[in-house]
This record gives sequence, structure tokens and C-alpha cells, in this order.
Amino acid sequence: MEWMITTNEPGKTYLMQGNEAISRGALEAGIRFAAAYPGSPSSEILTMLGHVADEMEIYAEWSTNETCALEACLGASFAGIRSLCVMKQNGLLVVGDALHSASLSGVKGGLVLVVADDPSAHSSTNEFDSRHQSRSAAVPMLEPANMQEAKDMVKWGFELSEQLQQLVMVRTVTRINHGRSSVTLGEIPQQKQVPAVIGEWDRLVAINWFKDAQISKLEQAQVIFKESPFNWYNGPENPDMMIVTCGTGWLYSIEAVKALGVKDSVGILKIGTTWPLPEEFIVKHLGRTKKVLVVEEVDPFLEQNIANIIAYHPELNIELTGRHGQKVIPRNGELNPNVVRNALANMTGTTFTGPEVTFIPPEEAVALPPRELTFCAGCPHRASFFLLKQTLRIQEGQGVVMGDIGCYTMGGQRAGHYLFNFLSCMGAGISAAEGLGQLTRFGFDQPVIALAGDSTFFHSCMPALINAKYHNSNMLFVILDNSATAMTGFQPHPGIGLTAMGKTTEPISIAKVVEAIGCPVTVADPFDITGTTEIVYKLLKQPGLKVLILKQECATLAIRKREKAKVWVDQDLCRGDECGCGRFCSRIWGCPGNIWDYEVGKAKIDEVVCVGCGVCVSLCPAGAIKIEGGEAV
Amino acid sequence: MCGGMELKNEVLASATCALCGACLDWCPYIANIEDHLVLRFDCNVSNGRCYSVCPRTFTDWEAISEKYLPDIPRDFAIGPHLKAYKVKAAKGINGQQDGGTVSYLVKTILEDELAETVLLTGTDDQVTPEPFLSSEIDDIQKSAGSRFLASPGMRKIIEAQNNKVQKMAVVGRPCQIQALRKLDYNRPPQKPEVEVLSIGLFCMWSLGWDFKDYLQKQFPEEEVLRLAIPQHGFEVTTDKGVHELPIDTVKKFSRAGCNYCLDMTSELADISVGAFEPQEGWNTVIIRTPKGQQIFNDALTKGYLISEEYPEEELKRLKGASLGKKTRNLNHVQTAFDKGVKPFIDLNSAYYIQLKELAEGMVK
Ligand SMILES: Cc1cc2nc3c(=O)[nH]c(=O)nc-3n(C[C@H](O)[C@H](O)[C@H](O)COP(=O)(O)OP(=O)(O)OC[C@H]3O[C@@H](n4cnc5c(N)ncnc54)[C@H](O)[C@@H]3O)c2cc1C
Repeated sequence: MEWMITTNEPGKTYLMQGNEAISRGALEAGIRFAAAYPGSPSSEILTMLGHVADEMEIYAEWSTNETCALEACLGASFAGIRSLCVMKQNGLLVVGDALHSASLSGVKGGLVLVVADDPSAHSSTNEFDSRHQSRSAAVPMLEPANMQEAKDMVKWGFELSEQLQQLVMVRTVTRINHGRSSVTLGEIPQQKQVPAVIGEWDRLVAINWFKDAQISKLEQAQVIFKESPFNWYNGPENPDMMIVTCGTGWLYSIEAVKALGVKDSVGILKIGTTWPLPEEFIVKHLGRTKKVLVVEEVDPFLEQNIANIIAYHPELNIELTGRHGQKVIPRNGELNPNVVRNALANMTGTTFTGPEVTFIPPEEAVALPPRELTFCAGCPHRASFFLLKQTLRIQEGQGVVMGDIGCYTMGGQRAGHYLFNFLSCMGAGISAAEGLGQLTRFGFDQPVIALAGDSTFFHSCMPALINAKYHNSNMLFVILDNSATAMTGFQPHPGIGLTAMGKTTEPISIAKVVEAIGCPVTVADPFDITGTTEIVYKLLKQPGLKVLILKQECATLAIRKREKAKVWVDQDLCRGDECGCGRFCSRIWGCPGNIWDYEVGKAKIDEVVCVGCGVCVSLCPAGAIKIEGGEAV
Repeated sequence: MCGGMELKNEVLASATCALCGACLDWCPYIANIEDHLVLRFDCNVSNGRCYSVCPRTFTDWEAISEKYLPDIPRDFAIGPHLKAYKVKAAKGINGQQDGGTVSYLVKTILEDELAETVLLTGTDDQVTPEPFLSSEIDDIQKSAGSRFLASPGMRKIIEAQNNKVQKMAVVGRPCQIQALRKLDYNRPPQKPEVEVLSIGLFCMWSLGWDFKDYLQKQFPEEEVLRLAIPQHGFEVTTDKGVHELPIDTVKKFSRAGCNYCLDMTSELADISVGAFEPQEGWNTVIIRTPKGQQIFNDALTKGYLISEEYPEEELKRLKGASLGKKTRNLNHVQTAFDKGVKPFIDLNSAYYIQLKELAEGMVK
């Protein structure tokens, strides 16, 4: 709710989502610049800042990729402007070089980089831990343990950044970004920053001469962190055991201690400044105990950095456990209260006797029908995968399909007839296909197809396309252009003609970019299954690099714009199980709009779900699916 | 009870498919482009028409001949028939392959309303076959001349059925005529009977579509006007002149599936038509059924066709050629069966045993 991030009611407490709190914190810090690339669970932050940009007199953009976003913030920072950069864990790896370089040059105006990790990879293909990058790039990092801290750390991060002349990272996890809790608001400054003049001798230069400065900034941060209000110890003077925790682990730990009734013997050391660690502060508290359990999300980052500290302090005599030490917490996957409680129970030799927390009493639990991860009703990707699959079968050459991340990744599952042979990070499909396509010279004769979405095309496919063109790789590059960054919630991208601030701008034509690179490009409609199958077939027969744009707007967007056609099954024409189609519409085509009417044993359309794309009309061998009205797709 | 998966495993996977097209379009599972015919998704239908109509699944030749060509004198070499003629069209038709007989038989059928629609094959260019249904006499022109690339013309049957056609005629290759008979022979009782009149072409083999690419490479910038197989080789007539290709070169492009065909003269048709080899511009016509005799007579009466007695020595040569195909392909068939391909012919039938003996005799 955007009013909560802009309202000027210092001292008021609201129930806020973590991403709202982060946006709020940035506005309380007086930012005037924000740039991001969408990625769950971080996407709402820039969406909201974009919406309130005019009102708050800030600039916000969805950058073409994360590197563009970070460098853009650096540019604004050069003129002394506070800027917020947002991305998910994969984005941080994309910006690896930019991050390390920025840390070497330092910043002028405060620059806070919020990076949202996704433990257990709920909406990612991995659960990479971003914290390694902060250590590797020598960038100070804060880890909020609740929504209040998320806001406060972002706000304070700007002060710290300016004090150190260094960018500051704030690492969140899904439960912080998407969870909600009470947040007490601070003040939003009325005074707006104005850009400083960049003088003839002002510099932001990333070169190794500044390595000493970079290290000293980190040492300075360590001194500051010693007194940080984000770090504290709570527990007995000399506990039998100490939990050292950060981020969401903190609340889970409190809960576990309480549930097991061990508060007289277990203390909790909560760390909010996880890089560089406040060494003196930690050593002081570790001295109270002999046994430590580290509770943190994803990798044993805190744990191993504490191991490091212990190694330098022979006076400490500590049995260190965690995700690595004695593996008391599973090495993979998200934490939850039970995981932490079980680990603590094991270590303290206690058992939990209280009632198990169940959200729905078993007698009231409804058995949810299992639902598969699939494309939405009317999704153009379903048609694209369907026709690509059948073309490869028709072509009989055992095609290899390579792709990356987006809604279309689901094409690797039943929704896309298990089409993908290769899936990796954004831009990987075409890059890897370029390599495979070069093997023709050694006799490799399987057709190679790379798939990418339109947003991915702009994000990371263009250099790869140039590479494939320049070296004339034997491959077909298919751009699934649904005019949306649908996976993360419809953020506009350069092909759309709309900015994060809702302004119209000239869209960039993918076809023109491809042509300018020198590749002949074919544009086809995935909804025309027969026609486009033939197009793909013919393209696959040609040698060299081919580019095909399968263009059809994301159904979820399209349905908001046009009148929905009525699609229905004429059950007199549907032959039911007598038909040789074997329930083709609901079973193979698999659109959630095509369902089976078990009462009469015939096909049926779920009118609530159906968006009226009409593709199934063309697939029914009995001509039983009818379409009427609506605007042509 | 067999369906799409069996068709895939027994026919498509072993490359015995003749590309007749009879399995296509009944269901959404079988897809085709050019000469590729595949199961595009796994099908779970256990009793499929695709399987039962296929000329490369089990075919009871004797029972089918008995049903559709009863009391017709049998001939081991060229199938049941009444009589053979040497025939040509009186006036001819532009682009005709040999004597233009087929075109005028089709004209007769449409004029006399012996069929509501006819399955023909042809397109603008003389290489690419494109099957179509028509009841227009003007469309016959489009089909004149043989396209030697295989095409799945039998897919059009479902279109005729959907249009509730009750009487239709088919011009097809031997595999297609076989499928046409199986379609009725294995017709589920609830399906309406369609009266068919079949004109079968002679066929040694049909070509894969890569032959089209080959022609393009051999004769770039030339428009192919006609392909023909006169006795001496393979003739390609283009807008720039007549080229000759060695027949063995062309044969390399013949479809693997054609190797399993034991029928050169469309033995199950009502009337079969091929080239009259000794003399260009003439056809060989084999009348097999009274129905076939009738349209042939009608065409003669109308003055569309001229016929002559079939020379005795030519009949012997024709039978020899047909037996040649049978015995040659029997080797492929047996090798395939030995390798585990499911027999599509009754191995204990008198026909098969006689063929085997003949083939062995020829080897000796
Ligand atoms: C693939 C193929 C192989 C053949 N092999 C031989 C052979 O070995 N020996 C021999 O004597 N004759 C063969 N023929 C038959 C021969 O080429 C003539 O079609 C036949 O002699 C009739 O000549 P016409 O002048 O009466 O035909 P036209 O009056 O010119 O009529 C031609 C007819 O052939 C049909 N047709 C054309 N292409 C195809 C196709 N691909 N599939 C099905 N129907 C088609 C058209 O619908 C049309 O009705 C073959 C034909 C084909 C299509």
C-alpha cells in the first residue's frame, strides 16, 4: 500500500510488508534515485517507488539489467544524490564486476544496494547466498531481522554509505521481503537533495590504487559496527550455550528457546552487521560460553566467519555448530521455527512437550487437489512449446533445446512437454547454443534451438546474439515475445514503451535490434499452430543462424485490454472418450481452461479460467470447441 | 486392439511408413510436414483407426480381395483383373503424364456424377504434390502429371467424411488404394458407409522430399515443368531444356517405406493405370471390377479415350516388372520381419508362400 510509504506521520505504527518498509526507509533517507531489475522477492520495491516517484520527486527506473541499475545509481551518486539499487540474488552475480569495481572507486552520495535472497528457491532456480559477494567485494552489509529493521537499516545504510564513501549492501530474504509486521515510521525529509557539481578534479575511478582506501573503509565500518544498535546479546551471563544468529534466524531462535524452556541456559547473540563482523563485540560475548549454535539463512556464512574469529582468538574455547559444524541444521533449504527448535533440542538434550503449532486442525483440513506448475490459461508460451515440440518431432532430428529463466522455464515440465534439454541463468540458452551450434564442423547435426523471453533478450541476450551472428553458429534463436516481464509481475521492459514511473517512451523493437545485428528475422504468431509449425520446420532446415520472434501478448495482460471471447464446447459434437483424441484438449494441450466434464464424459471449458484465446478451437479434431465474439487475438 | 503408440513403434520407428496419409487427421496426435510423419505426442488410444487403416499393419489381402474384388480372375503378378488395354486420351490434357487417361476417367466420373468429390494430387509446380478434394472439372487440370514425391493424400478422407460425402472417387498410389480398402474393411459399425471408386496408379516407388532440394541444387534458377520416367532414365524438363538423370541416382531418393511394398499395379483398385512403356503418350489400363469397367466404357463412349488391344508380349513384360518389384521387396520385408518388425502380411497365406518360392526360384 503505497500511502504507507509516503505518509508523513512520524511515530505512527503500521503493519507493513518488508518491501514496503524498505521503500519507506529509502524515502526517509531522502533518496532521489532508484534503479532495479525485477526479481522475486524484491520486485515490489521499485514498483512502489515508481508509482510514488512523481509525488515524492524522485526518479525511478526499471533498468535493462542489474548492471545497468547499479551503474546508474553510481552515476547519480557521483553527483551526491542518494540512490537505492534493488535486485535479487542472481542479479547480484550479474553485477559482480560492477560491484567489485564500485567498491574500489567508492561512492559520493549514499548508495544502498538491497539484495533479496530466496532461501529454498521458492521463486528462483537456486538459493545462492548473496553475502559472499559483500565479503568478496569488501562492501559492508546489514541483515535485517524484521520489517522494522528493514526500514531502519536501509535508512541508516545511506548515512553509513556517505560516512564511509562506500556502497552498503542490505541483504534480505523472502520472509522479510514478503512478510508483514509492525513498523514505526520515521520522518520523511522535506528538503530535497540537489545534484552537486562534478568538478574538473572530482573522480570516481575503479583502480587498484584505491585498494588501501577500500580496506580502510571496511576497517572503519568494523569500528562503527562495534557500537551498532543492530547487534545485541540477550540471555544469561554465562549460558551453557549461545545461539549466534542474524536475519530471520533471530525470531526463530527466540521461539525455539521459549518453546524448549531453556532461557536460563541459552543466550542469543543477534548480529545485524554481518560484514565486516564486529570482531571485538563478538569475541566479548563468545567469551561467555563454550558452545555455539549459528542460525542463519542459506550458507554457513556467519558461522564460518565466526570460525575465522575463533581461529584468531586462542583464548576462546568453543564448540562451534551450525549448518557446517556438526551439521545440526540442514545444509540446504530455508529455516523455519521447527528446524531451529529441533536443532536446539538436540543440542540441549531437551524435548519439546508443548502442543505442535498447526495452522489448520487436522479434522478441518481439506485435501487440496494436487496442482501442477503450469502456464496460465491462454498463455502464448503453451502454444509456443506445443508447436516447437511437434516441429522437433516432425523434423526427426532430435533437436536440442536450450533456455534460461522466466515463465517459459516451466516449459521444462509437463506444461511445455519437457522441451528443455538445457536450462541455466539468464542469457545462458543462446550463449550455450552458440557453442553447440559450432560443432557442426565436427559432425554434430542435431538442430539446436535457444529460447529466451523478451525481457531476457534485452537483459542478457544481445551480446550472445552478436557472438552467434559474428561466428555464424548453426542454431535457431527463438524469442518468446509476450511483451511482459510476466514472471515477476509485469514490470515494463525496453520493448514495452512504458517506464517504472508510468511514462510512455519509445519502445525498442526486438526485430529491429536483431536485424541491425545482421540476422534475418522471422516474426510469427504462436497461436497459429499449423502455420508457425511450418515456419519453424523451414527455419530448422536452413544452415547458419536463424532468429524467430514468436509474438503474442501475455494472456494475463491481454485479457485486461480486450473483450473476452466466449469459448465453449458443443457437447453434441464432442465425441468424449469415443474420440481418437484421448481427451487431447485437457490432457495434452493442458490449458487450465480446458477441463473434463466427468458427469457427461465430454470436454468442457472452465469459463472462469478461460481467457478466450481460441487456440484449442483449432486443435479439436471434432470441431467441437466453438468461439464467439470478443476481439480477435 | 492397437493405437497410435503401436503405429509409432511398429511402423514409424521401423520406417516402413508409405506416407499414404490414411492415419492423418483422425486425431490430433499424428503430424506431418513434407515427408515426415510422426506421433507428435504420446497417445493413449488403444484402438486407433490410424493403426487399422495403415497399409503397413496387418492386412488380410485374401479376405480384402474376396470382399471387394469377388469372382474376379486372380493373377499372381498383377492382381485380380478382368482385362488390360492400351489407352490414351483422344484430345489429351495439358501436362498429362502419359496418355492423360486418368484425367479423362476423372472427368467422366464427375460428369456422370459417379462421385460427389474426387481425391486428386497436384499443385502449381510439377514437383510438389498437394492432395486436394474437388468436384470441379476445371480442377482436373491442376492434377495432370505425376508428382513423384510421396504425399499423404489419404488424409483428405476425413475431410470428405466431415462433409458427409457419400460417394467419392480416389486417384492414388497402391499404398493409398490399400488404405482405402482397409478403411472400409475395418470400418466400425457405427460409421456410415462411403461408396468409393478407386483409380490406382502404377508405382515402383515414390521419392523423399529431399529430392526437391536436390533438383534445386542441380538445376538452380530453372523451373521444373515435368518429371518423367521413360525407359531410358529419369527426365527433368525445365524452362531451360530437358535434362536426364541416371535412374540409379534418383532411386537413392526413394522412400525407405517403399521397400516394403509388394504391389506395383494397385491390385485392389477398381481400375489401375500406368505408363505404356513401349510407346510414349500411351497408358496401360487394367480393369479390375465391373465398376471400373463401367467408367472405362463410359469414357470410351464419350469419345474421351481411345483404346487398343493390349499386346501379349507387353503384358508378359508388365507381369515380369511387377514380379520383379515383389521379389526384390520381399527381401526387405523378410529382413524386417526377421529383425522383429511385426508382419503386416499373413506369413502362412498361399500368396506369401508362393511369393517366397518364386523369389527363391529366381535366386537359383
Ligand atoms: C509416385 C508415382 C510413381 C509412379 N511410378 C510408376 C511406375 O513405376 N510405372 C508406371 O507405369 N507408372 C508409374 N506411375 C504412374 C504414372 O506416372 C502416371 O500417373 C500414370 O501412367 C497415369 O498417367 P496419365 O497420363 O493418365 O495421368 P494424368 O492424366 O496426368 O493424371 C495424373 C494423376 O496422378 C495423380 N497424382 C499425381 N501425383 C501423385 C502422387 N504423388 N500421389 C498420388 N497421385 C498422384 C493426380 O491426381 C492425377 O489424377 C507413378 C505415379 C506416381 C505418382
